[in-house]
Amino acid sequence: MGQSAERPLFALQQKLGCSWGYLQKADSEASQARRDLQAILEERVGKFASEDANLVVFGSLARKEWIESESDLDWTLLIDGQANSRHLRIAREIRSALEKEIREVGGESKPRFAEPGPTGTFGNLGFSHQLLHLIGGQDDTNKNLTQRMLLLLESVPIGPRSAYDRVARAVIDRYLEEEAQLLEAESDNRFKVPRFLLKDIVRFWRTMAVDFASKQRDRGGKEWGLRNAKLRMSRKLIFSSGMLICFACNLDDNLQKKISTESHDINLKYLANYIREYVNLTPLDILADSAEKLGLGSEAAATLLSAYDEFIGMMSDKDARSQLKTMSARESRTNPIFGEVRRISKNFEAGLHSFFFKNQRLKPLTEKYGVF
Amino acid sequence: MRMVGFSTGALAYGEFEKALQLLSGTTANAVELSALRQNELDPLVHALSGLALGQFGHVSVHLPSSIVPEFENTLLEAVPHLPNEWLLVTHPDVIRTWERWESLGERLCIENMDKRKPIGQTASDLRQIFARLPRASFCLDIGHAHQVDPTMGEAVLIIEEFRGRLRQLHVSEVNSQSKHDPISLESASAFSLVSHLIPHDVPAILESRLPSFSVAAVEAEIESARRILDGVGALELAGD
Repeated sequence: MGQSAERPLFALQQKLGCSWGYLQKADSEASQARRDLQAILEERVGKFASEDANLVVFGSLARKEWIESESDLDWTLLIDGQANSRHLRIAREIRSALEKEIREVGGESKPRFAEPGPTGTFGNLGFSHQLLHLIGGQDDTNKNLTQRMLLLLESVPIGPRSAYDRVARAVIDRYLEEEAQLLEAESDNRFKVPRFLLKDIVRFWRTMAVDFASKQRDRGGKEWGLRNAKLRMSRKLIFSSGMLICFACNLDDNLQKKISTESHDINLKYLANYIREYVNLTPLDILADSAEKLGLGSEAAATLLSAYDEFIGMMSDKDARSQLKTMSARESRTNPIFGEVRRISKNFEAGLHSFFFKNQRLKPLTEKYGVF
Repeated sequence: MRMVGFSTGALAYGEFEKALQLLSGTTANAVELSALRQNELDPLVHALSGLALGQFGHVSVHLPSSIVPEFENTLLEAVPHLPNEWLLVTHPDVIRTWERWESLGERLCIENMDKRKPIGQTASDLRQIFARLPRASFCLDIGHAHQVDPTMGEAVLIIEEFRGRLRQLHVSEVNSQSKHDPISLESASAFSLVSHLIPHDVPAILESRLPSFSVAAVEAEIESARRILDGVGALELAGD
């Protein structure tokens, strides 16, 4: 509970007088799952990470939205150091250790940490040089874009974190280095919205939405309901939090006070450190923190975060989840569970709409940078 | 002009007199007497009175960086034999009895660590260390900071927070295996990003292990460091 109390999300919950019990439960289960994961790997693999090879987890465990016995574990062994053929062996040992960790849940044997999806994006090795150097262009594959964006928007290392921190910093720097100007031309005393980073976040969101259709085709409509619900909620959440990070660079008055009139390079470092600090938060914490820091309105925050709490509640409900997993697009039109998904996601969207299109500070930035 | 010199350990492993002789032919006006291994401390203490240190406006001692726990007491007992005005550059992971080290006050000069060490790499790590050693000063190893975060974002955080304690720099390129190499163009470029944040009266000690230990090679590395720390751009250093 102590850890939860430190999160901006739960500080805001207290301030607004809301009760987000499902989010609190998910937070608590995520903390336990992270500890268990590290303990399992230390016991079965030994020193599974080093200063140059870190285990990074993504998805619900990184977002602290872990649902025990339901959530998948998306992970990669991130390499930022000398080439070494043993890295693959370690990745395989991690995978094997996780496969062996089985437990009984409701009379059923289930892996403690379910395998990642079948795309090959996770459960394998990831390399820093690709993430850093292949931004845009022919070689920036869907997998590379996904790993890079999730590294920034929803990731956390398990165990040592030096390589993880180096790579995240390097990627942020890379985005900022490509900006011709960091400051607004008209005033010179305010950071611009970092367009290159923002455009890639927008691109990632569009890619996820397009891939939703592509994956449905590839998988013959399997898990349509569940995937659609996630697209409406958790995928949209990380897109929104990414946009807020970029907009905060322009709107946060405390950051503007640091601007140096002498050095472009040092301004880049100030901005990079600011973004780095922000991306260390979970997406929900970014929303909560921005709501406070940028004055986005408590009513909108309560609407969208309460909707998200309901979503986590629904994902925790075995029966609802099971129905969503087998639901086709056609069935969703009349299914009452999916009717709930629609209602919750509309509330979530209404909160986001208030943030991005009604707030007088965010609205002009959303129109200028988020749409075109 | 900023005081710049060398670590004796970088110039002549375990032979500080030989290193000082080499430096006597250069413009070095700062030196760090290296006793990085615990068996080097006693010989250094006994040789002090005979060392030729007249050319140096700044002298420090690098205390052993890797010790067996029982040696901590021996180490602290040797400290009173070192001149009071010399900084005692120390790796935080050798400290066990914190209150005894805190009693050294500002002379105790804590260095930020490379990626191999479990503590002392980041501003956040150092904050915890200085909370236990509130009077200690700080030696920024710019090569370590660059190795931990090549973008130098962490170095900016460290300098911003601990500039008031900063009494010495360590300068070199620290490679992926944590060896101290001569400053490359990439490192020079990175160091230049933060050089203007470092006060001019903070002396710099080079730790580069040069391919040749001639007077000319040592002087060239000193000159290179002076130019980087004076804010000469990396491309200018490369002659572009």
